[in-house]
Amino acid sequence: MSRYLKLVDFEIKRFLKIYLVLVGVTIVSQLLGVIFTSKNYLNLANEMMYKEMLSKETFLQQYGSFSFLQVTQTTWFVGPIALCIVTLLIYVFFIWYRDWFGKNTFIYRLLMLPTARLNVYLAKATTIFLFVLGLVSIQLILLPIENNILQLIIPTDLRTDLATAEIINSFYYLAILFPYSFTEFLIYYGLGFMAVFVVFTSILFERSFRLKGVVLGVLYGGFSLLILFSPVLIDGLILVNFFYPLEIFLLSCLMAVIVTAMSIWLSNYLLKNKIRV
Amino acid sequence: MNVNFNNRDPVYIQVIRHFKEQIATGSLEPGEEISSRRELANKLKINPNTAQRAYKEMEEQRLIYTERNLPSRITKDEQVLKAVREELILQAVDSFITSVRSINVPLEEVLDLVKENYEKHCDE
Amino acid sequence: MIEVKGVTKKFGRKQVLKGISFTAEKGEITCLIGINGVGKTTIMNAIMALTPINNGQILINGEEIHKGSYEKITFIPDAITMLPQMKISDAMQFMDDFYDCWNQKRADEMLGFFKLDKNERISSLSKGNTAKVNLLLGLAMDVDYVLMDEPFSGIDIFSREQIAEVFTSHLIEDRGVIITTHEINDIEHLIDKAILLNEGVVLKEFNTEEIRENEGKSVIDVMREVYQS
Repeated sequence: MSRYLKLVDFEIKRFLKIYLVLVGVTIVSQLLGVIFTSKNYLNLANEMMYKEMLSKETFLQQYGSFSFLQVTQTTWFVGPIALCIVTLLIYVFFIWYRDWFGKNTFIYRLLMLPTARLNVYLAKATTIFLFVLGLVSIQLILLPIENNILQLIIPTDLRTDLATAEIINSFYYLAILFPYSFTEFLIYYGLGFMAVFVVFTSILFERSFRLKGVVLGVLYGGFSLLILFSPVLIDGLILVNFFYPLEIFLLSCLMAVIVTAMSIWLSNYLLKNKIRV
Repeated sequence: MNVNFNNRDPVYIQVIRHFKEQIATGSLEPGEEISSRRELANKLKINPNTAQRAYKEMEEQRLIYTERNLPSRITKDEQVLKAVREELILQAVDSFITSVRSINVPLEEVLDLVKENYEKHCDE
Repeated sequence: MIEVKGVTKKFGRKQVLKGISFTAEKGEITCLIGINGVGKTTIMNAIMALTPINNGQILINGEEIHKGSYEKITFIPDAITMLPQMKISDAMQFMDDFYDCWNQKRADEMLGFFKLDKNERISSLSKGNTAKVNLLLGLAMDVDYVLMDEPFSGIDIFSREQIAEVFTSHLIEDRGVIITTHEINDIEHLIDKAILLNEGVVLKEFNTEEIRENEGKSVIDVMREVYQS
């Protein structure tokens, strides 16, 4: 097994406990959310129909039928997703800083491994990617299960059934997490991963030059954004409406690739020549 | 084996002296196998290179000898053994003289005291 | 041979190393001596490429450090570099996974010598035992050079004795060792070469046996002369 893969394995194991807690919280919270929200609706329906003597039709008219969309708007459902996103965003920083500021400075060991230091960087990036993709796939598996639970609780005539794809598309945030087409997937996740590389590189600037590095890191982040949006900016400000939308899109993709490559190259340089324990 | 080394004499010379003392007193017998330089360094808590140096020096002084790849042994050469004994005695006498001189004691007085005390020490 | 040639290093405005030059041979124990804060650790970090230098050059067996060098030279910092939640056995496994030069037999031997339990977690080890594990992880590698930063500082006398014993054993044999210390007493008879540092410069570099033989001085005598003049 190459040292890169061993590093990935190692980095994953280092965060696995917290990650599994995140997964657990997501599953439990969303399942409970489905059950509670469905039961509440059912209780409401029962109360209205038996105590208030509303007919089923009037009830449906007044309160609407129940669908999975009602579940997705609860904290039970969105909360854990937000928690996962925030945790992973923090971990993008923590995955580096823990090696310097942990109880034992593990960075000594990592930098003294008989392998290109870039592998440490790539392994950390890979770990973040795998964690993100892992959470996304778990959510994807959870949705149909939750949908089935809902259907078990709510009788057919009180609910509107949605397919998993419909659930995703009807909810803005989910639509970003689960793009409809493969191209969109590539764009969203490509941009996300590019951002991770840029942030990693900024962190390495800070770790190499400390206070001065903070400025360099921020400048680097800004510079990356500038490059990424350069086709849009050029089209909007300099050569107004010179490009076709498709051309702008392709140029932007190219820029994203350039920013990613630049980040990796710079990080390699910093790790080799400038990094400090 | 616990040797107190002083900090100002070369350690290898102190090691050689230690060996000579052991040879003179008979705790190392002629032809007896001695520890490797590694073992010696470990026992005396000294640098292995110093142990090596001491062995090399002792070999040159013919205090020890090595046959092919076998462990080194204490010499059986009577002349060398005798010389070691004499050297140690002389050294002891020298240092005795130096300290006695420094307090200006006449020789006769000292010699009487030496005899008296030496026997006392032996009785104990 | 490790050659440090004219190395300078600034941290911000502070010039920590002002042109340091010395060599350390394989098969010898070289000791960097200095009152605290004279850049000893920085020199170690610089040799291992853990901090960039401003000027000068550092060569290991004639070449600049590269990834393969870490199979030939290792550094034992003054604190352990393994994660606190790891067991000793995990730490050893980590070394085995990543280093071709890891020698498990020697590691087991040292575990026995130090009387360590490999199922103990690093976070629960005493200070002395942590230092021993730290030392073990470095010395169980079949490398040519071992750098140690203050291996004796802040631990109890018995651990110190045990660690000193390592220096005279086959664990060190034929390797080049560079150690830093601000306290020479424990190891005066163990080292081959002393390098006295002060405020980022080498004040004196000498062979300890030679200085005893030729000038009748102990290392501390020389230190007194150099630092108090």
